[in-house]
Amino acid sequence: MMINSLQYYNDTQMSHGSMGKIMGTRFEVILLDKSEDAASAIWHDIQQELMRLDKLLNRFDPESEIAKMNTQAFLHPVAVHPELFQILTDCRIYHEKTMGLFDISLKDFSKVVLLESDCAVSFLSPEITLDLGAYAKGYALQVIGGKLKKYNVLNAFLSFGDSSILGIGNHPYGNSWKVSVTNPFVHHEVLGEIDLQHTSLSTSGNSPSYSNHIVRPDSGRRNNERKLVCVVAGNPVDAEVLSTALMVATDQERQEILQNFEIESFKIYNIE
Amino acid sequence: MTSNKQNKKAVDLSLRQFIKNLGSIAGGTALLASTPWLQSFTTDKLSEIKKEKARLAVIGTGSRGQYHIHNMLEIGHLEIVALCDNYMPNLKDAAALCPKAKTYTDYKKLLDSAEIDGVVIATPLNWHAPIVLDALDAGKHVFCEKAMALAMDECKAIYSAYQQTDKVLYFGLQQLFDEKYIKGIQMIHNGLIGDIVGLRCHWFRNHDWRRPVPSPELERKINWRLYWESSAGLMTELGSHQLEICNWAMGQRVPVSVSGMGDIVHWKDGREVYDSVNLVYRYADGVKINYESLISNKFNGMENQILGNKGTAELAQGLYYLEDDNSSPAIQQLLAEIQDKVFAAIPAAGPSWRSETKGKYKPHAIVKNTAGVHSGASMIGADADGSDLIMSAFAQACITGEQAKNIVEEAYVATILCLLGNQAMAEQKTIYFPEEYKIPYMKF
Repeated sequence: MMINSLQYYNDTQMSHGSMGKIMGTRFEVILLDKSEDAASAIWHDIQQELMRLDKLLNRFDPESEIAKMNTQAFLHPVAVHPELFQILTDCRIYHEKTMGLFDISLKDFSKVVLLESDCAVSFLSPEITLDLGAYAKGYALQVIGGKLKKYNVLNAFLSFGDSSILGIGNHPYGNSWKVSVTNPFVHHEVLGEIDLQHTSLSTSGNSPSYSNHIVRPDSGRRNNERKLVCVVAGNPVDAEVLSTALMVATDQERQEILQNFEIESFKIYNIE
Repeated sequence: MTSNKQNKKAVDLSLRQFIKNLGSIAGGTALLASTPWLQSFTTDKLSEIKKEKARLAVIGTGSRGQYHIHNMLEIGHLEIVALCDNYMPNLKDAAALCPKAKTYTDYKKLLDSAEIDGVVIATPLNWHAPIVLDALDAGKHVFCEKAMALAMDECKAIYSAYQQTDKVLYFGLQQLFDEKYIKGIQMIHNGLIGDIVGLRCHWFRNHDWRRPVPSPELERKINWRLYWESSAGLMTELGSHQLEICNWAMGQRVPVSVSGMGDIVHWKDGREVYDSVNLVYRYADGVKINYESLISNKFNGMENQILGNKGTAELAQGLYYLEDDNSSPAIQQLLAEIQDKVFAAIPAAGPSWRSETKGKYKPHAIVKNTAGVHSGASMIGADADGSDLIMSAFAQACITGEQAKNIVEEAYVATILCLLGNQAMAEQKTIYFPEEYKIPYMKF
């Protein structure tokens, strides 16, 4: 349990929570202007919530709701937790809005049947496995962001392994949270800067140590381009979904997809 | 000096309080059971003897002896009544520190004195066994510097005498009274770093280990550490502490074999003992201690690393690290900048940062505000390393007659391991723990 720690900095009334092995990466939060006791209570709540979400959404945990569904939904319709059902419904909408490029089945979402009346899921093909890897971190940021609002946290910085970030309010010495996009192939090379203020940033791409992990669902081709896609949006789920979809979209598709969303900005960095 | 004195007393009391607290918290009894030598070392026990003073003699008043004298002068429940050394300059220096003490040049005459309750032995290693055995025989309580003795048979003889005596016997394993080691080992025993999968201990210095010699015939007397007749070299002088820590961390488990290489690499000045040693001690289940000491390069300093499948403890520095505890460098930068009142972009946006690619671990302190970290550079001793506390405990034991558990056994195991290491290096072969030196305390 020690890997999930909260450190309080007295001088600056700043708390740093850090939680390992969650959503496939590390979650970190910097909370400002809260007392040690208040931050501690908030951090406890955040950890509980993240563990709950991981149990719901992480298909690599055999005990998770989604893993159980994945093993049985081809055999018979599986009733799932209403929250998971809502998420899957949401994913179907995103699937449509991204012209099929956001696809949690990684193959063919048309083979996934959502039975609204029973809150159940059925697969029409044994090859279907649902993976919320391109969705869950954005969803978790949205949920945790909502919690922080309830706790009246005005300024905070939340990050899942640097790739999914939510900036609430601003840095104590600035009017936003400022992050730079760095070239994963060239150490210390800055590609651009992004200001976050009540907005979230999701970055997708390949790096020397982690490549070929994004798949174009219709062709099944793994993307190995040296590029990064950054999407800034008020809604962390929009940012998360789009950064993946735009990574594999053609220029034409990108134009059409973006018409379906209201985002702050996006940027594609092609790295030579 | 006054503030230093008050400070030392405060340290003494605070560890006593810490130990007392250990006994009163939930699970503390179990924790205290893993450090049984501390059970008699509490503020309550100290107050029981508040009017009494142990009458102690120091035999061997060189640098380490004088270091002990400085500590002893700070301890209220002892007085130094006698000093002994056969090298007059050292005896004179010590006498200047405690002018009321009687001086001797022959330890046997000192042992005849009925006015001495106990002796503190800080002589060259070859003198440990004869003086310890004679002192116990003379009915004195004994505190002897580590290592236990120069030869394995001498260790066995001391162990046998210890089993028969009603006197108190301590060895200078000060880390047993060092809060950061006590807490660190307890945290390890509580599973902080998971299963112990390896141990790495090293001690690096860049020093020839020589003392100035006023005239050539005194070379072997003053530089006794450099010759096999009086020293077992780096293993006993430095390694014994570290191998004891391994034994402690492993819960009395003892390696079944040792292999190693020892050489004189740099200080080719007529010395006999190695200035470079590398050894592997292997436990029955395959876990190994890697031990390395070199005294012609100090880059790596001194450290005792206990490696677990979930983390690593660096006990000399009082730190631990967890395998899956890597904060993102960008977040670390942001935290530092906020503290420095700097607003700048942090390099946070990127494809998922993956913790296993990061080389740096975040250190956590075993004891908050840890003081007195031993860099390994001092040849005599470090501040707040438990040396004063173990002396305080010994003096208390001289009054109560209560032997602290496990100290002799730990010293025995550590010394035998050092000497087996030397044997492995000398014979250039793997040495298996000999049956004749096994004691019931050891688990294999």
